[in-house]
Amino acid sequence: MRDRGWNTGRSSTDVVRKHRPDYLIALYTGILMLLGLVIMYAIGPQRANVLNAALGSDFSDSYFFTKQIISIVIAATAFVIMALLPYLLIVKHASKLLVVGLIACVVLAISGLAGLSFAEEVNGATRWFNLGIFGSIQPAEILKFGMLAYLAVFLGVRATAGEINDVRKTLIPTALVSALALFIIVVVQKDLGTGVSLTAIVMTMLFVAGLNRRVGAAIVAIVLAAMLVFIVTAPHRMARVATFFQGDNTSTEDGAAYHIQHAKIAIGTGGLFGVGIGNSVQATGYLPEAINDSVFAIMGEIFGFVGLLSLIALFVALLMRLLKVMDGLVDMRLKLLVAGVFGWFGAHVMLNIAAMIGIFPLTGITLPLLSFGGTSMLFMAAALGMVYHLSQYTIHPSRIKEMTQYEDPRSRGRVGRTRHTGRRRS
Amino acid sequence: MKFELHKGSRSRILAVAILLIAAIFVGRLFYLQVVQHDYYVALAAEEQQSRFVIPASRGMIYAKSGNEPVQLVMNQTVYTVFADPKTVTEDREIITSLKEIAGGNTRPEFEKLLEKKETRYQILATKLSRIQADKLKEKGFSGIGFQETSQRVYPEGALAAHVLGFVNTEGVGNYGIEGALNDELNGKDGVLQAVTDVRNVPLTVGNNNVRIPKQDGKNIVLSIDRSIQSKVEQALVSAAERTAASNVSAVVLNPKNGEVMALANVPKYSPGEYFKAEDVAVFNNNVISGPYEPGSTIKAFTMATAIDKNVAKASDTFVNTDLIRVEDRTISNATKGITGTISFQTAMQWSLNTGFVTLAQRLGNGSEITPAARETMYDYFYNKFRLGQRTGIELANEASGTLIAPNQPTGNAVRYSNMSFGQGMETTMLQVAASYGALINGGNYYTPTLIDGYVEDGEYKENPQPEPAAKGVIKPSTSNEIRQMLITARAAGFPGADRAGYSVGGKTGTSQVVKNGQYSTSETIASYVGFGGANEAEYVIMVQVSGKDREFQGARDAMPIFTDISNWMIEYLKLQPKG
Repeated sequence: MRDRGWNTGRSSTDVVRKHRPDYLIALYTGILMLLGLVIMYAIGPQRANVLNAALGSDFSDSYFFTKQIISIVIAATAFVIMALLPYLLIVKHASKLLVVGLIACVVLAISGLAGLSFAEEVNGATRWFNLGIFGSIQPAEILKFGMLAYLAVFLGVRATAGEINDVRKTLIPTALVSALALFIIVVVQKDLGTGVSLTAIVMTMLFVAGLNRRVGAAIVAIVLAAMLVFIVTAPHRMARVATFFQGDNTSTEDGAAYHIQHAKIAIGTGGLFGVGIGNSVQATGYLPEAINDSVFAIMGEIFGFVGLLSLIALFVALLMRLLKVMDGLVDMRLKLLVAGVFGWFGAHVMLNIAAMIGIFPLTGITLPLLSFGGTSMLFMAAALGMVYHLSQYTIHPSRIKEMTQYEDPRSRGRVGRTRHTGRRRS
Repeated sequence: MKFELHKGSRSRILAVAILLIAAIFVGRLFYLQVVQHDYYVALAAEEQQSRFVIPASRGMIYAKSGNEPVQLVMNQTVYTVFADPKTVTEDREIITSLKEIAGGNTRPEFEKLLEKKETRYQILATKLSRIQADKLKEKGFSGIGFQETSQRVYPEGALAAHVLGFVNTEGVGNYGIEGALNDELNGKDGVLQAVTDVRNVPLTVGNNNVRIPKQDGKNIVLSIDRSIQSKVEQALVSAAERTAASNVSAVVLNPKNGEVMALANVPKYSPGEYFKAEDVAVFNNNVISGPYEPGSTIKAFTMATAIDKNVAKASDTFVNTDLIRVEDRTISNATKGITGTISFQTAMQWSLNTGFVTLAQRLGNGSEITPAARETMYDYFYNKFRLGQRTGIELANEASGTLIAPNQPTGNAVRYSNMSFGQGMETTMLQVAASYGALINGGNYYTPTLIDGYVEDGEYKENPQPEPAAKGVIKPSTSNEIRQMLITARAAGFPGADRAGYSVGGKTGTSQVVKNGQYSTSETIASYVGFGGANEAEYVIMVQVSGKDREFQGARDAMPIFTDISNWMIEYLKLQPKG
């Protein structure tokens, strides 16, 4: 009875009747994308002006706005495709997706070394495939998605079997595959931001899958230690952390603090209601990465405290929808898919905002759905589309209660077993 | 928001974590955006607000050529190149380009200034032309900036240098009209206070932006006539060669309105290269800034006073013994032997001091220069002829001269006897010339002026004809008589000097120079003041020749300069001979 719905590879529609999806997910996603578009419209001309003046390029005023529209159309398409794609396909081909991601990254690394033209090298790191007129794509995002799918299935199966805290069967394989992916992303591609979000995905999934405290603490310790190594070995990261510990006493004269100081100035000058669209001064070149990583600060300047409050509320609301879907899913693999998306999305939002308001060091992570840039938005939208699709297979909260009440084997299998296993091991 | 999450599930823990973090964010944002708002606004303003000065362009100065204004002073935009050595990276390229494009304008050893990496501002080159600056700008060096400044240029070179003065490197006018009308010429700089982008380009955003438009300086059209000025300067240069005088000065004005048509001094300087002058004395305008004892030229004023007071006429006589006693002093004549009973006209012709002391006595009781006589003389000299007073011409550093009032301890009869022939008082050339205008134009005193009008928006707007500052300072009949006296005196003294058919009159002056409180025995200043025209006087010319330890005589040294200019004026003004 316990295998029903997951181990047999059958759809959970056997257990839960397909119902209407959670429209709010689509709504929030859409609003966030449109907000990003408004910002591109508002500061695109200034950004073009800054780049033209600095690089002698020839961006038109509407360049960033138009490009963002294209990105949104592509991302929305991805959302729709994933919303329609039967999740069974993902579950079935999760491992293949991971392999594709790994191969893509390896091919990129090799062609980067070979100096092939489609491997774009920026600042000494090769992260992008140049696809000519189709723009460019970051294989790390494929790898990340592959990891999300593969680990969700793997950990889902293990958790269902009550083996989530099993070092040999679960933790070592998870650690190995994670380490491999992280090595490629962080060491080879020198992309700490993606590495951080991948770590967040894995840890959220482990947490939701029912990892016990002792193992959890150990993993957190390992991750912290690894982070420390990365910070200490790179001078620019050390500088960022040092800046962070100066708190609000930084100045614009200090090169290392320049970014964060201007982010704070942008947010601070916004006041209660903001300076309004078209009046942003920080976007005229003071605040670096105004349309990418720093878009939150620019929004703070333009829309003020009230605007940022609404934005945070919107993000939190979307995250809560994800949790709700996660909670309502019966199949542990699907539950972990949503958990991964939650960790991914949540980590981006939290780390980006925390850095902009000066309560966490800068990590170079984008604000999902809002920042300028196609690839990150494409994959984020695809992931949310997948959650939207899964939201059709949740059970009503009352039934969860009901099942717990009547000691439904499924719920015992999920909650009870893990606890029991944990207790036995301690 | 109601989260119907499964009780005790880890999704609840995640939800709580998210809400907690969100709460921290909101708290932090409240602190940054509401509590600390003003602090960050100030911080932003400090970085973003810039104040730009919109420099007003200094007014140009025109002379007249006939009735058309011609430019004497223009502005030229030049560029100063400065560097921010701290941010400059392409040192070698910058040095090469600067040497190539602006080799002559670089500061000495500017390469070393670039090496001062801890500094933020170093001037590398100055006075680059727009073309040079554009070429450098094209290179797009970072850390190199350009500052526009305006510089005076003089299309007519040194012409009318003493009228113009010059503008120093700080843009402040010195001497001449540049000094006197500095504020009017300067205009008012505008101010633009604006939020700027990171490259310091002003933006239209922000609500503390201030914009005060600049007010350009006025373009002044001088009453100086370019041709007359040029002729006068040539005449002075050749006179200085002829007489070997160190200083020769002249002023030409229109007795009908007080407008100065020419004003010149030798030695002169070039206002565009004022900094090359070896002695600052060269900047002094002797016509207005060098008070001296005017000497015999004043005799015309004494005569006019006597005629106006009905105590004497040109044909009246007195007994000349070449000596006259005033209290304890004896005054003698420079030219001796014209003794006996002679007319005042004769006294004027021979410039006999005794005749004019006699006039001063006749203003009193006939044998003494009484206090009443002194009051009369002072009233005429100071109040009516404005001797010893600044004329108010639009030039810097005008001197007032000195005229001792009779109520002062030294304002005694001896002083006033001396004053009757121009000693014991100090005037400037311009004062004498302006008053001669009143003497011979029917008795109206015009304040001498240099300003004929303004050029506004490229159009010449002439000032209305000046009104006399004082009408009828002497009676028209007096004016007529003194004018005729001076014409007669000149005709008798210098027959054939003037073109036939014109009325030219004048008076010589040979002034003694006071040194260490005593009259020098080795130095005299020559002067001549006169007028010319057909039926009425069209110009007044005053000339002065001087030099350290040199004895110059009015008739010998100054008069020929007058004659030279006067005859030229008749031709230039196309005056028709008397009918």
